[in-house]
Amino acid sequence: MSSTNNTGFDFSNHARNQFLGERLGSALPKATSTGTTIVGVKFGGGTTGEPEGVCLGADTRATGGPIVADKNCEKIHYIANHIRCCGAGTAADTEFVTNLISSNMELHALSSGRKPQVVTAMTMLKQYLYRYQGHVGAYLVIGGVDETGAHLFTVHAHGSTDKLPYVTMGSGSMAAMAVFESGYKENLTRQQAIDLVSRAIRSGIFNDLGSGSNVDVCVITKDQTEMLRNYEMPNERGSKTREYKFRRGTTAFTKEDIKSLIFKEEVKILPPSLDANTAMDVA
Amino acid sequence: MEALVQRLAPPPAHVDPDEYSVGGDGEGNLNALGVVRGMQVPRVPDPAAFLSTYTNSMSQNPQAKIKLEHGTTTLAFRFRGGIIVSVDSRATAGSYIASGTVKKVIEINKYLLGTMAGGAADCQYWETYLGMRCRMHELRNKERISVAAASKLLANIVYEYKGQGLSMGTMICGWDKTGPQIFYVDSEGTRLKGNVFAVGSGATFAYGVLDQGYSYDLSDEDAQELGRRAIVAAGHRDAYSGNTNNLFHVREDGWEFLGNKDISELWYKYEQEKKDARHATAAGSGADAGAGKQQGENAARPTTEVQPVPMEE
Amino acid sequence: MEMNGGSVVAMIGKDCVAIASDLRLGSQAVGLASNFEKVFPVNDKLFIGLSGLATDTYTLRESLRFRVNMYRMKEEREITPETFTHLVSSTLYEKRFGPYFIEPVVAGLPDATPLNPNPKPFISTMDTIGCITTPKDFAVAGTATDKLYGVAEGLWEPDLEPEDLFETISQTILNAMDRDALSGWGAVVHVISKDKVVTRYLRGRMD
Repeated sequence: MSSTNNTGFDFSNHARNQFLGERLGSALPKATSTGTTIVGVKFGGGTTGEPEGVCLGADTRATGGPIVADKNCEKIHYIANHIRCCGAGTAADTEFVTNLISSNMELHALSSGRKPQVVTAMTMLKQYLYRYQGHVGAYLVIGGVDETGAHLFTVHAHGSTDKLPYVTMGSGSMAAMAVFESGYKENLTRQQAIDLVSRAIRSGIFNDLGSGSNVDVCVITKDQTEMLRNYEMPNERGSKTREYKFRRGTTAFTKEDIKSLIFKEEVKILPPSLDANTAMDVA
Repeated sequence: MEALVQRLAPPPAHVDPDEYSVGGDGEGNLNALGVVRGMQVPRVPDPAAFLSTYTNSMSQNPQAKIKLEHGTTTLAFRFRGGIIVSVDSRATAGSYIASGTVKKVIEINKYLLGTMAGGAADCQYWETYLGMRCRMHELRNKERISVAAASKLLANIVYEYKGQGLSMGTMICGWDKTGPQIFYVDSEGTRLKGNVFAVGSGATFAYGVLDQGYSYDLSDEDAQELGRRAIVAAGHRDAYSGNTNNLFHVREDGWEFLGNKDISELWYKYEQEKKDARHATAAGSGADAGAGKQQGENAARPTTEVQPVPMEE
Repeated sequence: MEMNGGSVVAMIGKDCVAIASDLRLGSQAVGLASNFEKVFPVNDKLFIGLSGLATDTYTLRESLRFRVNMYRMKEEREITPETFTHLVSSTLYEKRFGPYFIEPVVAGLPDATPLNPNPKPFISTMDTIGCITTPKDFAVAGTATDKLYGVAEGLWEPDLEPEDLFETISQTILNAMDRDALSGWGAVVHVISKDKVVTRYLRGRMD
């Protein structure tokens, strides 16, 4: 348990793994990555009469090499009540990095006694990612509404950031950006923003092989955050028309061991002892 | 006759690079009569290096996109009653078992068998071609080709392509005027005459059983059983060998196919026999339990000295 | 992964879960042992399958045993499948840049608690660095992953009773193993239901 005293990463297997890598060629296991389409767009304000907000979107496919590892995963991560973050890249990294920042944001809010700002989250993320020089493979779209208004950023794994009114990331970013470039206007209404975002994600789902399954949308305004999980499901699987059950007893087995989890207790009332003192004597 | 022979005989394997320009007469490497006239080789400075970038034919290149059939166990041995040829039937592409019903014994003609290890296509193609050449020999000389000559034909062909990516390890087995003969031929150009051969990834396991049970004076039955057991042992231990066993017996009047049996089922059968033998000796030895155990373990070893149990399935 | 071979699969049934592994331990092409179990109990109704590099199977098992025992002593209760999944995930991510070559599969039946009176059967799986997925149907891992996905996707159906789930998961792993050179040599299946755990050793191909 050498590692429990230290915080952070443990590199103790690194040299061993490099040796195994040389022995086995490229046969080393692949980490789950989110071949992904994630997007974000700012809306409202101006003359629309609608409150300012951001709308985030993501597909729900997780891949491990050519295999679809998860058909309906969640790529819109929680940072704070009014801040959410879409993740692309190495799935474990996006998951852990957003969790870490979420915790730190909560602590930050508690110690400062203020609602945390979106830039704070973005800065924490970029500083963390820069420290690891791109080895923590998280590509993020972070959006939220705080006291200073609606904000939308992208953060790359190496630590660079962008601040734009509409953004896309992941392997499906081209497909999604094509939709944004043709459909984006300033001061969209809330519904227009949702429609545009889901259209961009659908474009990624259908045109990018790394993206697929469903559309997740998240709408954040000053007053509320709405997580529209599986807002659209354009790829529902047809149900099986027949059963594929095997007749019981099909599989031959050589040994069986049944562990019963029911604890049986029998209470036996003994006849009163002739000599109570002897019965009680346990010495 | 000689004119016909000349027309049918293939030109030398190596061809002028200009002669096989892509497209050409559109007939690939066969001429109008369907006879091989030389392989086309990629027009790069080092064809072997080019090939091994894309396939694992020469090396265990794990990045190779095209994985050829590789793992195999094949064996052949010579004994008083002729030759036993025994092979497995598994084809793998990486760790994927692409087929469990591969024919790894190529029946060149009624008297000649070739085994297949390495590139399946290479073996199939060149051993079929060897069959054509052997027939030509018969027509020319009015007598059957000797095993030595046939194997040398193959060895010479593959030697032409040495270093260019062919991958074969084969045993040419047959009966000619001199009796039963086995020649090991591989794509490196090796050609060896011998009594006992095993080729492929499971060969070491097969040799283990073979060496321990082999004798030139084996009876037909015992020899066949030894061939089966060696393949079962290899199929059991080697990940890239298994599924079924094909057994052939070459006698003076040609080869005979002795059937296709499931290796896993055979393994379970042999295990059961070991158990039964242990029980029998343990029960028989009475008081001296230690001696009984010793005997039991001896009997458990899959030697051909053990009373052969009739095959059943 | 390709070093020692081996595969694990878990499936959800009606108020039950099943988890199965093959029994082969190999060194590349050579089979060494046919009694190498890759599924371990965490508590009565929670199991973990650790397929991958054999040395890490044991290292991780011991490391998790330590952490689960610490949890049990501190909390004075059994760990739930969901919490255990996160514990495994953190253990793996700690070695983000020098990972264990293990893809774990967790299968468990949570106990009813006042907060969660009707718990559902739970399975989860992770990649080597701890990215969790929690499927509603089945989870697979190991050298036969591709084949297991294919067979399970075809055979699994919802709400299987324990005895039917046993047949489905057994046929899934047996048939997938028969197409994988590095898995096989027998299999073991655990079916966890409310009142008992049934463990069966399957007769598989030995080649």
